[in-house]
Amino acid sequence: MGNGDDQPRYEISQVAYIKLVLHALKHRTSAVNGVLLGRPSSSDGSLTEISDAVPLFHSNLGLLPNLEISLILIEEHYGGKGLSVVGYFHANERYDDSELSGVARNIGDHIYRDFPNAPILLLDNKKFEALEKGKDRSPVMQLYTRNASKNWKLSPDGGSRLILKEPSANVVLMDYISSEKWRDIVDFDDHLDDISKDWVNPDLFK
Amino acid sequence: MVTKTEGTQLDDLENQVDNGGGGAWEYLCLVRKLKVRRSEKVLKHGLALLNDPKKRSSLGHDEWTLYEQVAVAAMDCQSLDVAKDCVKALRKQFPESKRVGKLEGLLLEAKGSWAEAEKVYSSFLEENPFDQVVHKRRIAVAKATGNMSTTIELLSKYLDTFMADHDAWRELAEIYISLQMYKQAAFCYEELLLSQPTNALYHLAYADVLYTIGGLEILQSARKYYSSTISLTGGKNRRALFGLCLCSSAIAQLSKGRNKEDKDGLELQSLAAEALQKDYKERAPEKLPLLTAALKSLKVSS
Repeated sequence: MGNGDDQPRYEISQVAYIKLVLHALKHRTSAVNGVLLGRPSSSDGSLTEISDAVPLFHSNLGLLPNLEISLILIEEHYGGKGLSVVGYFHANERYDDSELSGVARNIGDHIYRDFPNAPILLLDNKKFEALEKGKDRSPVMQLYTRNASKNWKLSPDGGSRLILKEPSANVVLMDYISSEKWRDIVDFDDHLDDISKDWVNPDLFK
Repeated sequence: MVTKTEGTQLDDLENQVDNGGGGAWEYLCLVRKLKVRRSEKVLKHGLALLNDPKKRSSLGHDEWTLYEQVAVAAMDCQSLDVAKDCVKALRKQFPESKRVGKLEGLLLEAKGSWAEAEKVYSSFLEENPFDQVVHKRRIAVAKATGNMSTTIELLSKYLDTFMADHDAWRELAEIYISLQMYKQAAFCYEELLLSQPTNALYHLAYADVLYTIGGLEILQSARKYYSSTISLTGGKNRRALFGLCLCSSAIAQLSKGRNKEDKDGLELQSLAAEALQKDYKERAPEKLPLLTAALKSLKVSS
């Protein structure tokens, strides 16, 4: 098939997916970002399984210190579970901004250094808005991967290189949105302001 | 910027109103006073007040302030019909008012009619070139349409005239950071530090930008500002404590072999590390092992 068999593909779990979108909703007037946790699939060499996500910041995404600290703590926590940072998520500040910013690219580059299949996922605002009306089963994110010349390239739609592990994830997402679940999500910024707030969000979906 | 006490007071009042305990007008006044953005709640509770004729008339003249507050909140929540009605009511009551004219401009922005909003604001500025609010709305239009170079140009020009507007300096700094123009962001914080040298948050923001720029001398400067943040906040600012650890680590790496620097850095770093560990032990004990491991990885062996 025209897919190219050794093109990297990504399967994102409902937990990771929903955390990221809820985070973007909680801070809809700012840009937000997060990291993807996972591991390469044991059965399929070109597939990366994204099993969890940690929402990072909702202000001054372009500054290094907090990013560095968060990555050290996150890697420490998930390393113990056999997971590593396998990608990056970004949502732009403005609704009609669908460009991948320099900040996003640089953070993506940094993560790519340690995990050479790392993707960048960019929230697709228009697709997200349309979710209410349609029954779309694909994630409301655009997939960017790095090509041989070290540039981040948008993966065209219909390539289905990014899939939702649980097919009903969007239904669950819409449910959580109507119950305003996004109010409960904790990111690293929140943790730095109040360390009793847990960026692992262990009780979010209970 | 809101203090922790004020924030708690506001949240408590908000919870009270949400749960039917009354106090809606007090809540709305506090939101106005603190200049926070809680548009959903303001819309909900403000509209409830407006739609209750008894409560509305008991407000007297404040009724119009409420209309204005609800109008802006409605625009923020994209409830444009509500916003239109409020603005209409205000226009009827104050037919010549410029203040209402600005609300009408804001409504155009909310609708996405950028060119028309721009026209309204430009004509305001022709009449009164020193209207700060309108200047800032023009800048907001540029930012909302993604025109970053115009935004920076307009904001810089604005600051040439209104250099005491701290919020504007912060806005400009944040825009520069989002565009990775760190040296320019640093300049903005330098201006803020000149006018408010004891504001710990400016020390912290400046330190963060310096750290991001990097380089041995700049990192040493960053360390000074993390230290001043720590002393201004009595050691309570976690971000500064972390920043200090990161700085010391980075400086040690860059200056391997220069013993004098290392000693100062090591002492500061262990003090900061101790403070952080104490904090986590008290308030987030399950994360303490993570923190300890992280701090260990930051200690560079000489």
